[in-house]
Amino acid sequence: MQGASSGIGYGLKYQARCISDVKADTDHTTFLAGTLSLKEENEVHLIRLSSSGTELFCEGLFSHPNEIWDLVSCPFDQRIFSTVYSNGETYGAAIWQIPELYGELNSPQLEKITSLDNHVGKIKCILWWPSGRHDKLISIDEENLYLWSLDVSKKTAQIQSQDSAGMPHKISGGAWDPHDVNSVAATYESSLQLWDVRSMGKTISIECSHVRSVDYHPKRKHVLVTAEHESGVHIWDLRKPKVPIQELPGHTHWTWIVKCNPEYDGMILSAGTDSTLNLWLASLGNDDLSTESQAESPTHWVDPLLNTYSDYEDSIYGLTWSSREPWIFASLSYDGRVVVESVKPFISKK
Amino acid sequence: MGADEVPLDDKAKRMRDLLSSFYSPESAMSTATDSANHASPDDINSNSFDPDHYMNIMVHKSNLEGLLQRHVEMAAEIKNLDTDLQMLVYENYNKFISATDTIKRMKSNISGMETNMEQLLEKIMSVQSRSDTVNTSLFDKREHIEKLHRTCNLLRKVQFIYDLPDRLNKCIKSEAYADAVRFYTGAMPILKAYGDSSFQDCKIASEEAMATIVKNLQGKLFSDSESIQKRAEAAVLLKQLEFPVDNLKAKLLEKLDQSLTDIQLKPEEIKDVSVEHTSSGSAHEASIHEFVEAVRAFRVIFPDSEEQLVSLAKDLVTKNFAIAEEYVQTRICAADLLGVLRVIWNDVLLLDEVLQEAALSDHSLEAAKVVVMSYVKSAFSHLLQDISDSLLKVLKKDGMGEYSLEGALDASSKAVLQGGMDILLEFRKLLDHDSGVLVRLRDLTIDLVQEGIQDFFKQLEDHFLLFSGRKNSSAFKYHGLVEGAQGDKAFPGLVLVLAQLSAFIEQTVIPKITEEIATSFSGGSVRGYEYGPAFVPGEICRKFRSAGEKFLHLYVNERTQRISFLLKKRFTTPNWFKHKEPREVHMFVDLLLQELEAIGTEVKQILPQGKRKHRRTDSNGSTASSRSNPLREEKLSRTNTQKARSQLLETHLAKLFKQKVEIFTKVEYTQESVVTTIVKLSLKSLQEFVRLQTFNRSGFQQVQLDIQFLRIPLREIVEDEAAIDFLLDEVIVATAERCLDPIPLEPPILDKLIQTKLAKSKEQNAIPS
Repeated sequence: MQGASSGIGYGLKYQARCISDVKADTDHTTFLAGTLSLKEENEVHLIRLSSSGTELFCEGLFSHPNEIWDLVSCPFDQRIFSTVYSNGETYGAAIWQIPELYGELNSPQLEKITSLDNHVGKIKCILWWPSGRHDKLISIDEENLYLWSLDVSKKTAQIQSQDSAGMPHKISGGAWDPHDVNSVAATYESSLQLWDVRSMGKTISIECSHVRSVDYHPKRKHVLVTAEHESGVHIWDLRKPKVPIQELPGHTHWTWIVKCNPEYDGMILSAGTDSTLNLWLASLGNDDLSTESQAESPTHWVDPLLNTYSDYEDSIYGLTWSSREPWIFASLSYDGRVVVESVKPFISKK
Repeated sequence: MGADEVPLDDKAKRMRDLLSSFYSPESAMSTATDSANHASPDDINSNSFDPDHYMNIMVHKSNLEGLLQRHVEMAAEIKNLDTDLQMLVYENYNKFISATDTIKRMKSNISGMETNMEQLLEKIMSVQSRSDTVNTSLFDKREHIEKLHRTCNLLRKVQFIYDLPDRLNKCIKSEAYADAVRFYTGAMPILKAYGDSSFQDCKIASEEAMATIVKNLQGKLFSDSESIQKRAEAAVLLKQLEFPVDNLKAKLLEKLDQSLTDIQLKPEEIKDVSVEHTSSGSAHEASIHEFVEAVRAFRVIFPDSEEQLVSLAKDLVTKNFAIAEEYVQTRICAADLLGVLRVIWNDVLLLDEVLQEAALSDHSLEAAKVVVMSYVKSAFSHLLQDISDSLLKVLKKDGMGEYSLEGALDASSKAVLQGGMDILLEFRKLLDHDSGVLVRLRDLTIDLVQEGIQDFFKQLEDHFLLFSGRKNSSAFKYHGLVEGAQGDKAFPGLVLVLAQLSAFIEQTVIPKITEEIATSFSGGSVRGYEYGPAFVPGEICRKFRSAGEKFLHLYVNERTQRISFLLKKRFTTPNWFKHKEPREVHMFVDLLLQELEAIGTEVKQILPQGKRKHRRTDSNGSTASSRSNPLREEKLSRTNTQKARSQLLETHLAKLFKQKVEIFTKVEYTQESVVTTIVKLSLKSLQEFVRLQTFNRSGFQQVQLDIQFLRIPLREIVEDEAAIDFLLDEVIVATAERCLDPIPLEPPILDKLIQTKLAKSKEQNAIPS
């Protein structure tokens, strides 16, 4: 267990849960983080990693009307992002635009492009299609799933279709398949449900309990990773939804979030409420059927855990890989500390 | 003198020549020509002598004196020759006269002989004619006699054939089968030739007789009472009769084959044998003796039947070993196995005497190997079954109620240790046994045991893992357990038992077994390593250690999950933002404590008590506060007007000043460690649940109240009070952070509510008791 803090820190003022990689910014490695403060004025930080890679600095600081429970940067426009917010009692979701020339203004205001207003329950997250320009958005609350059609220029968003969870359990989160624009996965308390967006119909369902987070493998179709409270991290092949391909032990307490590296195959980060962050290298084999052979030859078993980062004071809820520099990830612990680390030493090992 | 000698010599030679020319003119002629050839015209003795030439030469050559001398010489020579001639005539005249006399005598004698000869010829002629007449007169009669003689012979034969049935019957009566067969085979060609016409009746009758004979012979052959010699004879006779002997042989073999079933082992009986050596064992012995005798007889009767006999004997041995193998599958002790093997081996030895070609001992050595192997295997699998059974009793409902975990642990650890030692003892018996096969299999047995025990522990671990895998419920179904609430409820208990059992195996069982193996089962390794490694205690220990830790974690997880579920229900159901003022401690606290109590009882049954690590040294005695508490109380009592930012800063500062409390420590095999870990994890979950909610003031106060109430009972059951205090505080802090208006309850009210709750629960406890 290494606790060596090779990471670069950055402090938010308040507690925070969410951080997002600004994917559309191809010139810099940039992250967006939003604070979670019930009583104070919340902020969205635009954090940029210096070109030398040794320093994090605040590129922009914008006030946000409510505490932010979810924040995702638009994958095709670096100035647009979505948030899910709450004033304590009710929830809302909106698409925001960072004003131009924000550097020159004293207290720049975020421009609200539109708000996604049809939700009743607790909104959980907003999904952008991760693989490029797409005019659709998905928002998920505890009971429903909405597909929005977004027009940035007209600043409108209209509901295209919706489906209710249709289960006694509530939805806790979701992910949009980067390989298939029509497929969305949502996590329930006791299962993982996939939707076909065109028909808004449910497709595959995977039985697994207390799923907290789900992420698609960016390179391999059909492979996705889930984080579960008690039983750690599971890797699934959607073609064989009965049994996970691989199980990783996860964390001492809950495993909160799990993210696949956008570039390096099988490299997975998981973060949990035990204030640690684990870097895994899952051997997924050579796509297709090799997973079976892998299961058959446990002799080749190597510890999939590459490293544990334990230099955190509080639970870690926010985690993202940089898509520009895929060996870099940013994590956000509840106490508002952003830590950017590089996994380069572990890649070279491979 | 010399001159005198030469003419003399010449003279003699001439004489002889002359004589010989007289008696054989041809030769004289030849000699004459011969001498003529040699002679030159001047040689006076040759035929080509030319007197003129001679004279010329003489005149030319010699002088007068010489010529005169030659003249004298020649005159003398002529005189000599004349005398010689005269002498010759006189000498031979007498001979002529006697020869003429002899011829005259001969003439007179021959003239008498001719008449005698004629007389003789006449007489011989008459004898010849007489004998011719006799011959012709006797010829007819002689032919007749010869014909008669032949008829007589034929008649004799016919008579024999006509008599054959009677004769055969007579033979049957006197049991002289050999004669009967000889007669019959003698008559066979005739019967064959004329059987269809003249001798039909006779043939039928004799065939009937022969049928009886054959029958009798067969009977003889099959009857066990007859001596082997007689049976062999019968077989030979039957063979002579061209009776299909192979058929008979097959029948006999069949009979032998049937008798095999009598010889087959009945392990139950052998079990008795090992107790008392009289009744059924001897029955088996008798039958095997019988079989051996039969085989011996058979070999004599059918000398070419070895192959079948060998296969028969092999069959018997194989069958017996198969039975033994089957028998081994059932639970037997080594003594029984030894009994069975001994009996089989004895049989084999007996058979070996009779049938050396079968190489039965080799064959049975192989078979015995298999039996021993499967014995070892089954012994281990039975042990495994025992252990599994005693373990899974946890999940079964005992008539009285739940089977106590303690009992299960006791039973299963006993099963492992005692069972393991017993099994080794049994195997030792195999080694100590000094008879027959087992001695030859000694090394192999050692190897088998070593491999077996290695394999056994591996399988045991697999079993454990299988039991602990909740999703693989097939394991339970296999053991005939009903899935459902009962199984689910008892499941964590099982996992806990597994954990402790693994530790027990690692720490106690393996060393003992290792020791035992070292003393009794060293050596071996005939088989090399291709069949799997020998016993490696280190590996097994490592396996069980990691398995034990895994189980312990699993137990903690299982238990924490249930508490987590409880907490989740509590915190996600109500709308905390519209919570009403707290009136009493919420009942989830009771449920939580109940769960913890249940865990406590489970843990107490299984795990040892650890040294209680009191961390009270750094807390302020018995008051309900930990080191950081005053600061927090103070902080919380401040009005909400204070800047949250500074509040956060304060929290951070507080954390900085406080030593970092290790929340997630390694779980140990002690009651306290396990309970503490579970409590810690539960409280951490509680904190996380709280963080996901937003509270109003009343909601915050409710949580504050509940947590305050939990403080005392939790402290009593954990070993690390500081950590628990810290976590409880964290929950309150988290709630405060998620509250718009975090004004805590006044301590008196808090106190009062807690007291009420305590009184109430006391009351509740009092009523049932």
